[in-house]
Amino acid sequence: MSGATPMRRFALPVVAVVAAAVLVTFPIWSSPWESSRYATGILRDMLILGILALSLDLLVGSAGMPSLGHAAYFGAGAYAAAIAGQRLGSDDLLLGLGAAILVSAFLALVIGAVAVRAAGIFFLMLTLAFAQMVFAIAFQAADITGGSNGFSGVRRPMLFGLDFNGPDALFHLVAVVFLLVLLLAWRLRSSAYGRALIGLRENERRMRALGYDTTRLKLSAFVLAGAIAGVGGALQAYSIRFVSTNDVGVARSVEAFVSVLIGGASTLVGPVVGAIVVLFIERVMPSYIAFAETVLGLVFIVFVLAARQGIVGLVRASYARVRA
Amino acid sequence: MLLPFTKVYAELGNSMQRATKLYLKQKGDALANRPVTVIYEDEANDPVVGAQKTQKFIDSDRVDLMMGIVATPIAYAVRNAIDAAKLIFIETNAGGNALTRTTTDCKPSCKSKYIFRSSFSSYQISYPIGEYFATQKGVKEVFTFVADYGFGNESAADFTSGFTKGGGKITGSLKAPLGSADFLPFVTQLKGQQTKDIYSFFSGTDAINYIKAWTQLGMTASGYKMNGAGFLTEQDVLKEVGDQANGATTSLFWAVTLDNAENKAFVDAYQKEYSLLPDVFAVQAWDGMQAVDLALQAVKGDTSNKDAFIAALENVKFKSPRGDFEFDKETHNPIQDIYIREVKVQSGQAVNTIVGKVARVTDPGK
Amino acid sequence: MTPETAVVQALNGISFGALLFILAAGLSLIFGMMDVVNLAHGAFYMLGAYIALTIVQRTGQFWLALVLAPLLIGALGLVIEPLLLRRLRGRHLDQVLLTIGVSLVIADLIGLTWGREIRSIPFPAGLDHAITIVGGDYPVYRLFVIAFGAALAVVLAVVHRRTRVGALIRAGVDDAPMLAALGVDIDRLFAITFAVGAALAGLAGVIAAPVFGIYPGMDVDYLIYSLVVVVVGGLGTLSGAVAGSALIGPVDTFGKVLFPQFALALIFAVMALVLLMRPTGLLGRIRIAR
Repeated sequence: MSGATPMRRFALPVVAVVAAAVLVTFPIWSSPWESSRYATGILRDMLILGILALSLDLLVGSAGMPSLGHAAYFGAGAYAAAIAGQRLGSDDLLLGLGAAILVSAFLALVIGAVAVRAAGIFFLMLTLAFAQMVFAIAFQAADITGGSNGFSGVRRPMLFGLDFNGPDALFHLVAVVFLLVLLLAWRLRSSAYGRALIGLRENERRMRALGYDTTRLKLSAFVLAGAIAGVGGALQAYSIRFVSTNDVGVARSVEAFVSVLIGGASTLVGPVVGAIVVLFIERVMPSYIAFAETVLGLVFIVFVLAARQGIVGLVRASYARVRA
Repeated sequence: MLLPFTKVYAELGNSMQRATKLYLKQKGDALANRPVTVIYEDEANDPVVGAQKTQKFIDSDRVDLMMGIVATPIAYAVRNAIDAAKLIFIETNAGGNALTRTTTDCKPSCKSKYIFRSSFSSYQISYPIGEYFATQKGVKEVFTFVADYGFGNESAADFTSGFTKGGGKITGSLKAPLGSADFLPFVTQLKGQQTKDIYSFFSGTDAINYIKAWTQLGMTASGYKMNGAGFLTEQDVLKEVGDQANGATTSLFWAVTLDNAENKAFVDAYQKEYSLLPDVFAVQAWDGMQAVDLALQAVKGDTSNKDAFIAALENVKFKSPRGDFEFDKETHNPIQDIYIREVKVQSGQAVNTIVGKVARVTDPGK
Repeated sequence: MTPETAVVQALNGISFGALLFILAAGLSLIFGMMDVVNLAHGAFYMLGAYIALTIVQRTGQFWLALVLAPLLIGALGLVIEPLLLRRLRGRHLDQVLLTIGVSLVIADLIGLTWGREIRSIPFPAGLDHAITIVGGDYPVYRLFVIAFGAALAVVLAVVHRRTRVGALIRAGVDDAPMLAALGVDIDRLFAITFAVGAALAGLAGVIAAPVFGIYPGMDVDYLIYSLVVVVVGGLGTLSGAVAGSALIGPVDTFGKVLFPQFALALIFAVMALVLLMRPTGLLGRIRIAR
């Protein structure tokens, strides 16, 4: 037994690194496959939704703040990256990402300052309300955002002379950023900050009694989650080189929300697994069956009733049962 | 074919699919001696989904040709990908002007040599009627009331230019958010206007709710006249409002009552196959298919030479249910007659009858 | 705006508010009485409208639809609550996910069964004309809606305050184990309450569809309206739904006309404003968490 533990501790990081390498190089090793390019695109979209879901899990899973308007920051990041690139005539990736983070974090700060005063269902509704207002602004401010026609002509980013123009290069970029976000989420979970957030979810009153400024804590989580969502949005803008009002809409927010719940809130990979499942059913299945939405709904129902901890919880439970 | 099969524009997608299937059925599922397979995908009213499905067509299905797209933002979103992939695309609905024009920085979009349109540009259904009202119909003043989004705003702007160019005066405007639940407050405002001629752009549920509110407040009885771009009173709307839209004057490049041989054959065949009256969306898809068919025949079925196929498409000329159809070689937008139509009830069904025509309207291209 | 127009707009606002109340009543009932977040509310509304469409098409009888559609939806609710929702008492997030799932299934099945065309229900004969008010025509159906909404509010209030069932349900939310100990079948009570809430959504579908129209995606649009009304008015009370619709209706109507650029966001801005000043909504009570 004691011999197995150092093996286990060594094995896990190695497996993680290998898995990461496999992911990032997906387009390369899958190229012989006929639909490789298309699959790369789908996987890229899944990773982007995964980033959004991970950022939302910070709120829903860790801090117990169910936000149903998270796409507002995702879309804000997308618009920011697109508009900054165009207005400043620059392809620089860091500029685009920087603009995305700044704008989405600021938006989250402004909205969060108001929203975190509420909790539970009221928080849910407030975040939804604010997101709808952001949607309305994006729709109306046609001169800046392109309005209902969307923002076209987003530039493909460059970084230090590396051109992320091609679909493969873009996928590498998205995969790397995704892994960075995953790493960040992992470190957060074991950090004091992360545990404070979980404490918020478990018992806010006690946290306050322990001396934490819970409002500050909630707001910081909200802003952080918003900033990460903004990064995801920027990546999406670069991916399809277009931003539409759908990207700040209710549907996108709900997509992220259900991904988190299906995959397993407050687990590390749960939101990502959820994002993969949800996107697969929403975007890949309809090419083959006419009732994909029904399938999606049934999946939700079945999971709530049978697998409360989400897919990750299900896997853990069956793993435990097998080992026992 | 990329069409909406879910969400609010699903009906248009279904209509176009019916027309496409009927055309192919009539031709034995082969064009220019080549068997044709159509892959249908759902655009779901979301540019991200549209972009992904377009990539599927390009990368996975490796289609020879792409058609469809109902929503303008989706067309704008995929324009660059289609152009870069050198995929020949026939737009069968989205009327955003920019798609077939030269614009600065290609914003919000611009034409491409690979992109053709078998439907219309919103200019074509809004500008001519403006000029017609001022010059032919002797209308002096008009008030505009449109849906507040790309299409509605373009239509109002183009109508305004046409109308003012002809000497008319726009006395004011009102906009309703897209998908407004309640049209009564807006029509109440209209009723307070002196100007009796109202020009509108709405489609689908908005058009139905607008017409119902119009009737509820007795606008026609009070002397107000409803005018608009054709979609306000297309068959999808008329089948629900019946005679409530009687007398509405709209402009479009087709009407189900259009009296030519091709239209009669088309309407009869469609009705026989589906027990439904066709709508303009079906015509757009039908004409798109016919253009492809003729171009394919011209290149003897060889789709590998894209430039030759493009040249063939540019040269197609045929008699369509809407009249004479050809693409403008500059913009790849159709050159077509725009009919001024009036809603009447014939044989128990509300239809658009032709009362005027503006011949051979070409989109200005910039 | 002339005085006559203002009066008409006021009527528009009030009738819109009445429609919103009828729409939101079921959601308010389920959340207020059972503490269940029912995001399938929009789907029940949509289903009610489609059932009414078929009934009106086949028989031309609007009033039959008004009775039958709510009954059918209520029956559906009666099946759903014990089957799916019973184990989720108190678990809001799970209720959200489950009811979203139910909503997706219902909406998709509607599309597969009835098709995805844009439809409309004509106003019922007898209510489809206009009468002269303040020198102009005003549609009778809108007046009917105001009357119907008011009547519904009274009926629900009476049931809630004055009847034994109402008292039982209120008690059941506050202290379910106690009620069970007293021998009341709390499960059956909750199932019936959910069924009534669903039936109300179906009823709204019949009443509102002639005004709002029938189209794919209507479930989401009107769920959002319902949520706004219920949250603004105050979760947990029926008078909250009344207050919410009484505020949102006229605000939306006048807002559309006076501030067209903000028309899209207006009701959300109002909701945010109300929640800022009174976090539990206009008339809401804070429920003590256990």
